[in-house]
Amino acid sequence: MLELRELVKHYELVGGETVRAVDGVSLSVSAGELLALYGPSGSGKTTLLLMVAALLEPTSGSVLVDGRNISTLSERDASQYRLSELGFIRQSFDLLPGVSTLDNAVLKLLKNVPWREAHARMKPLLERLGLGKRLDQHAETLSMGERQRVMIARALSTEPRLLLADEPTGSLDTQRSHEVLGLLRELCRERGVAVVLVSHDPLAAGYADRVLALRDGRLDGHQPGGTPVQHSVG
Amino acid sequence: MFHLYRVRLRSRLLQECFAVIGIAAGVGLLFASQIASNSLSSSVAQLSQGIVGSAKLQVLARDPRGFDQGLLSSVRHVAGVRLAAPLLEANANAVGPRASRSVELIGADESLTRLGGTLVRHTRLAPFGGVGAIVMPGPLARGIGVTRFGAEATLEIGGHVSQAPLYKQLSAHEIGPLIDTPIIVAPLSFAQEMAGLRGRVTRILVTPSPGREQAVRVALTQLAHGRLNVTSTNYDEQLFSKAAAAANQSTVLFAVISALVGFLFAFNAMLLTVSQRRRLIADLRRDGYTPRAVIGVLLLDAAVLGTVGCALGLVLGDELSIQLFHSNPGFLSSAFTVGSARVVGAQSVAVAVAGGMLAAVVAVLSPLRDILSRDPLAAIAPRQLAATRTVTRWRTALGALFVAIAVATLLAIPRLAIVGMVALTCALFLWLPLGLDATLASIARLARKVTSAVPHIAVSELRAGRSRAVAIAATCSIAVFGSVSIQGAHGDLQHGLENAAHDMNAFTDVWVSPAGSFNLLMTQPFPATSLARLQHLASVRQTSVYRGGLLDWRERRIWVIAPPSTARPLIPPSQLVEGNLAAAGTHVRAGGWVVLSQALAAEHHLHIGDSFTLPAPRPSTFRLAAVSTNIGWAPGAIVMNADDYMRAWGSPEPSALNVLLSPGTAPAQGRRAIERALGTGSGLTVQTAGQHADKQHTLTRQGLARLSQIATLILAAAVLATAAAMGAMVWQRRPRLAKLKLEGFSPRELWGTILLESVLLLLVGCAGGALLGLLGQQLLDRALASVINYPVVRSVALPTALAALAIVTAAALAVLSVPGYLAARVPASLALQD
Ligand SMILES: Nc1ncnc2c1ncn2[C@@H]1O[C@H](COP(=O)(O)OP(=O)(O)OP(=O)(O)O)[C@@H](O)[C@H]1O
Ligand SMILES: [Mg+2]
Repeated sequence: MLELRELVKHYELVGGETVRAVDGVSLSVSAGELLALYGPSGSGKTTLLLMVAALLEPTSGSVLVDGRNISTLSERDASQYRLSELGFIRQSFDLLPGVSTLDNAVLKLLKNVPWREAHARMKPLLERLGLGKRLDQHAETLSMGERQRVMIARALSTEPRLLLADEPTGSLDTQRSHEVLGLLRELCRERGVAVVLVSHDPLAAGYADRVLALRDGRLDGHQPGGTPVQHSVG
Repeated sequence: MFHLYRVRLRSRLLQECFAVIGIAAGVGLLFASQIASNSLSSSVAQLSQGIVGSAKLQVLARDPRGFDQGLLSSVRHVAGVRLAAPLLEANANAVGPRASRSVELIGADESLTRLGGTLVRHTRLAPFGGVGAIVMPGPLARGIGVTRFGAEATLEIGGHVSQAPLYKQLSAHEIGPLIDTPIIVAPLSFAQEMAGLRGRVTRILVTPSPGREQAVRVALTQLAHGRLNVTSTNYDEQLFSKAAAAANQSTVLFAVISALVGFLFAFNAMLLTVSQRRRLIADLRRDGYTPRAVIGVLLLDAAVLGTVGCALGLVLGDELSIQLFHSNPGFLSSAFTVGSARVVGAQSVAVAVAGGMLAAVVAVLSPLRDILSRDPLAAIAPRQLAATRTVTRWRTALGALFVAIAVATLLAIPRLAIVGMVALTCALFLWLPLGLDATLASIARLARKVTSAVPHIAVSELRAGRSRAVAIAATCSIAVFGSVSIQGAHGDLQHGLENAAHDMNAFTDVWVSPAGSFNLLMTQPFPATSLARLQHLASVRQTSVYRGGLLDWRERRIWVIAPPSTARPLIPPSQLVEGNLAAAGTHVRAGGWVVLSQALAAEHHLHIGDSFTLPAPRPSTFRLAAVSTNIGWAPGAIVMNADDYMRAWGSPEPSALNVLLSPGTAPAQGRRAIERALGTGSGLTVQTAGQHADKQHTLTRQGLARLSQIATLILAAAVLATAAAMGAMVWQRRPRLAKLKLEGFSPRELWGTILLESVLLLLVGCAGGALLGLLGQQLLDRALASVINYPVVRSVALPTALAALAIVTAAALAVLSVPGYLAARVPASLALQD
């Protein structure tokens, strides 16, 4: 499904110095698999995801989604790719204020699906996410956990093949994090969506099929003892 | 406090600049229109004061021929009269080698110098070495090309033509502000000789001894025998202010609207920073500052913005008034001597600065409720996004109330048109948010029918930034409102004035009258010697005598129109507002009956059939045959037949000759034949009815040009303000646009969203403004028609409204499309920098 080949991203700083944000990462994720990527702050996690989302051009190497090279897409094709093949969830919630839960969730869908049909399609998913009673509530009145669940609904609305999650539980407490991660894993496994979840929260490991560590832009083969990988489920 | 302020200022220099520009634009427009309207009346006042000096009272002739100089010694013998000075004032056409100019000839003797007026303080008025000579301001002398000592100017005064040598040019040093006034001063005897009025004067200025003013006035009134006017010396200024009232009021209206546009510009800029400002307020309150301290910091902000904005605005307004808003007296110059000086009074500066400072303070203190709130964090509490039911209901009701007030003024008290306009503005502000909400709701409903996310995003963005959206819509709204109402009324007035001019030229083929642009209304009498010469011409079928003049009646300098009884139509048919045209025509033709304009009839409580005494040189009793418009002359008009005029004025002199041409003679051909018969140097000018009407149209248009100029400027300012505010809004929104990009929306869709939002705002604003603007037009039309009696042709300026709407929308969109396009190309990674 997703394959990274010797992916490299170097940032040239003003002083002529280079930051090796991602430094030769190769990995692959298959459909329905949830990969957790761990790393301390500044280890290149976000940079990596940006390249997968075709928002950032790699210095070298390639990102393949179903064998197609993502990094060479035109601006238009990249938009189309992000819209229909990709879901992106982040720590902050990019909801439209003053707009209902339902309307926020269908935003991506509206580009190609009429409003009525989009609503009909989204309702079951939102109910699955426990938002059945919140459909008409305005986004800014939802709790943090609820907001993140709306973002998950939006990300999954176009039935993408690949979901990227950058610190999705960053602003949630433990209880909410468990809920959100559980739902995420469940839904993705059902739909056969490949997930790359980036975090420094050990909690996430419990829900991952596979755990990799990133350090200074490189995958760290040696997992130190007691790391979350041992709690891996599935 | 200063430290806090400095820290904040640096972080939002751009927005502060916007705010300063907004305030400057408002102050500039306000200042320029103040200068334009004050300049004319100041110029009249300066001339009046420059002549009268310390005199308090005056005895005034009621016609240009004046009265016998012998009265002077009787006046000097009145107990309590300290000084008395005779004057002869006459309108003249001064012709030099370079050009000709209409001027006021002032003949005076040395007693005038003793009154100490600026005009003659440095001029000797004894006949210059026994020969007659004239002095005039430098600019006038250079204008007509008579500059050297002894060089001769030709003066044409009521058909009398004479050569007058220049004694000297007056400098600004000598006569101060009068330097730009078209006047020529001559010793009294020489002026009398040139005007063909030997031994006659037109006024006597009187300085009473202290405390004796009332007694002297009574004694002078007795001497006047009801044939002369005894008034205080500021009478001219009163007459002028009545005549210029319409022009001044429209300028005030404009000034208010320009100030509003400028204020909204500044307010928009302030709104850009409102979230930062709110955070600052919350921070300060949390750190224990009292509301008073917070207000202090904000007021400091307002003071800095206001001061810089006002300073820039004054410079801008000054420049505008020099480059664009030349104060043009238009028709007024045919009854008053008005200079071209630009008078910048302290009052204009004060009004403009006060407006600017107020705008700054109101804009800065807009979150006042949150500052004063018990809850220190109120300023950053989540905002209610849409208006609640109660608020909506209140707004609807209040708006309706204001419209009702406007309609009531329209129907019942048109005098208070300004109040009506203010009420409409309030209604506009109250209803605009409702209009916006309603539009957004219907767009949201429509959006469900199309397969696109663009309208959904646009609607939600507008709802989220509602207060800013309303402010932007209000900016274009108020500009379109002002522009439509004023342009509409302007068009109707112009149309009406052209009809009046047409009527006044309908009864003759050719006019023969004294030369000079002051004589546009045919008010200058001249000796009828030329009449005989014309009657024998082959191309002339009939020559008759037209008389007319200006008569001061209480506060009004009214226009007397006295066509010959043979004239058809005798009464301008399109100008009648009450009475039967045919019957009135018969009455007036037979004599003893007149037509008065409505305001005059109302002022003197006259109804058709009533008789009254007209304070003509020989007071005469007339009956009212019909009521008319003011026939284009703001203070009012009276129509009688030429024979009645001759009796009431006690003089057979015509003011113009009406020539009807023989069948088959083209007007231009007839005019040339008459010119040849009169010969050169007659001091008379010959023009066809068409030429005269054209001249009147031109002057009308010039006089009203300032209105359209300001209306255009307001629109331009609104376009810039709207585009700038929207541009800034879009720019600030880039992170949110980037987030949408993250979701897979293309730059094209984002650009579409931005444009759709802008179109919605502009259309709502402009449509609201245009709609109420049409109502405003009716209000102004009605005020012009029933208060000043202008012959307004009422209409609904739908084309003007649509044009304003289209222009503002298109122009603002065009300006906005560039920053919109750039913002839509925002890198998606910007979304991650939060
Ligand atoms: N636009 C950029 N220009 C220069 N350097 C950058 C840029 N973006 C990221 N970096 C650098 O690249 C490195 C990796 O950054 P990245 O944001 O991928 O880290 P991260 O693992 O997501 O960290 P965190 O857990 O804090 O989000 C950091 O050292 C960062 O300073
Ligand atoms: Mg990161």
